[in-house]
Amino acid sequence: MTGPAINHPTTNRRGFLKLAAAGTAAALSRPGPAGAAEKTITILHESSFIKPFDEYVSKTLAPAYEKETGIKVNYEVTSVGSLPTRISTIAETGSGADVTMNGLLQVIQFSNKYLDVGDIADDLGKAQGGWYDAAKEGVVVDGKWKAIPFANIGQLMNWRTDHFAEVGVKKFPETWEELHEVGKKLKAKDHPFGFELGHGFGDNHGWLYPLLWSYGGAEVASDGKTVVINSDETARAVDFCRAFFKDTMLDDCLGWTDVSNNKAWMADQISCTNNAESILWFAKREFPDIAKATDQAMNPAGPKGRFHLLNLISHSIFSFSPVKEEARAFMRWLMEPKQLGGWYAIADSYYQPLLHGYDNAPMWNVEPRNLPYRDALANAHLPGWPAPASRQLAESVAKYVVVDMFAKACAGTSTKDVIKDAEAQLKDIYRSA
Amino acid sequence: MPLSVLLDRQSVFSWLMMAAPLAFLAALVGYPFFYGILLSLEYRPVAHTGTFVGLKNFIADAHDAVFWRTALNTFIYTGVATLLKMVGGLGLALAMNQHFRMKNLVRALLLLPFIVPTVLSTVAWLWMLDPAFSVVNRLLVALGWPKPGPSWLGDPTLAMVSIIIINTWRGLPFYGITLLAGLQTVPSELYEAASIDGAGGWQRFRYITLPMLRPIILIVTLFSVIFTFADFQLVYVLTHGGPANATQLFATYAFDIAMGAGQLGLGASVALAMLPALALLIVALTIYLRRE
Repeated sequence: MTGPAINHPTTNRRGFLKLAAAGTAAALSRPGPAGAAEKTITILHESSFIKPFDEYVSKTLAPAYEKETGIKVNYEVTSVGSLPTRISTIAETGSGADVTMNGLLQVIQFSNKYLDVGDIADDLGKAQGGWYDAAKEGVVVDGKWKAIPFANIGQLMNWRTDHFAEVGVKKFPETWEELHEVGKKLKAKDHPFGFELGHGFGDNHGWLYPLLWSYGGAEVASDGKTVVINSDETARAVDFCRAFFKDTMLDDCLGWTDVSNNKAWMADQISCTNNAESILWFAKREFPDIAKATDQAMNPAGPKGRFHLLNLISHSIFSFSPVKEEARAFMRWLMEPKQLGGWYAIADSYYQPLLHGYDNAPMWNVEPRNLPYRDALANAHLPGWPAPASRQLAESVAKYVVVDMFAKACAGTSTKDVIKDAEAQLKDIYRSA
Repeated sequence: MPLSVLLDRQSVFSWLMMAAPLAFLAALVGYPFFYGILLSLEYRPVAHTGTFVGLKNFIADAHDAVFWRTALNTFIYTGVATLLKMVGGLGLALAMNQHFRMKNLVRALLLLPFIVPTVLSTVAWLWMLDPAFSVVNRLLVALGWPKPGPSWLGDPTLAMVSIIIINTWRGLPFYGITLLAGLQTVPSELYEAASIDGAGGWQRFRYITLPMLRPIILIVTLFSVIFTFADFQLVYVLTHGGPANATQLFATYAFDIAMGAGQLGLGASVALAMLPALALLIVALTIYLRRE
């Protein structure tokens, strides 16, 4: 049976279809972008807080490399916080970049999509004084170097020398207990502390993991399976944190994200916090009076020692990259002292080198107040320590298990209950280990 | 049969014309939806191939205290915000339906909260709720509240109140303008006739306005519930689910698990957990509308 004809003339309809077909064909046969001969390496980076840092690559390093080798380097910057999502997309689709920067957890999550770069790392270590232990902890997955460590962005204590002087303190306290006592006096003088206890990216984990460790607590045992959070040591850390929050801090810290403490710092609202060096960098440029009174120190020690959170960034080469060998050669070139040293130096010491060859580099003289960041590397660890890097560790961080344990205690829940909640969450997470 | 004859058939031609939009829908709505369902049934760490695990992810969700906290949060957030938007929006529409000077300008300005990108307006709220810089707290302290005033985003209850208020502020114009359009379709003869019969203002509202508006109220509510239930940007910018998950919603929790932890399967299961509740609501509202 033939269907009824539509009302308008058939030639028009047929003509339209022909036209559409012709248009598609024309679009398909259009020549593609020129130049298969020219090779390009695309490197993905998270936008730096230090503006000249990104410009140094796009304006100095990339042109220099192209001049030397004829290979173009495309330096692509993604906004702060969006790096994990971008790497996910690239790893899942198998295209988009050849080299990527990693934050703390990406090496673990994407290790099977990254090339083993142990040969490059070995050579670099031999040539430039050897790697810090922390560097290996951050990038060696199942015995293989899955990234070349670039730098640590340490989280340390930032404190106001003028406010501390008001209560007679000239040197930053050595222990958490001493800091607690100083904080009580400072809060009474309307100079409270402000440490992030909310759901930010880094300033919360940056002091809470070290606090837990320094009291002897840990999430899991070194086997990476046994959940050991429910301990007297954890309880003491939680009890301390509750009192520390109550006696020294602003109530608002419970809802803080990563911008909050910077904002409060520049507004002269708090006298001590835990942040990266960017707080001083920014103050020096925008709030010089506050910068003058800002100093930095290592985290205080607890009964079981002094600890810091490793906040390592590194570079990996995607195993599916069409320019793998070129990318390897580029990474070797990039990590040569001339290039690497210049790149570090442009950011003062916001990025702390992980090769001992830079321990006494001139970059440290630019801002001596940053020296504690170098020394803090000796006892810096991944979250989840003493367990090795694992996907479970990443899940615990993303779910804020440790942060929320402390935060709930500060908001008034009993120590027993907050530890029980964290234990239940961790057991769920590590069940698959 | 020659191609030209085949194309002349209406049944063939109409399907041909519909093929493009159908393919579009299948690719952009259908595929992600079914892929999401597939993901939720897999153990699927990011960058690894998945293994089918059946309902294991959903069972894990059921054992997760934070999941239940998130579910409760989402229902409270959606319920209270939708109610506030409905009552407020109706009031707004009634007020805007009066005659006053510069009526059109005011109506246009009303849409502002809805037009400004959510992330931008939320950042503005972030500043307004900051104890140090807040206009809100400065006002309260000036009125005698002890310094530094309430911690809007630090106190678990106040944080929930804050996100509800901001969502209401943002969604009110949508309700207001849509209901206003509905109000203008009510024939004035009905009001005149009612007035002649001696009906007062409240009676005119109760027996004419409300029944005439009911279908529109239902549709707007349906849309609003869906948008509010799946809200992400507001919480992501303001609290990121904190303090201690007091403002965690399905969308933000699913994002943290899928993108932060790299557990795509588990994340998809959290996101899909919203589906049954939303589907039930949509079915119920549709049946109700049909009956009208």
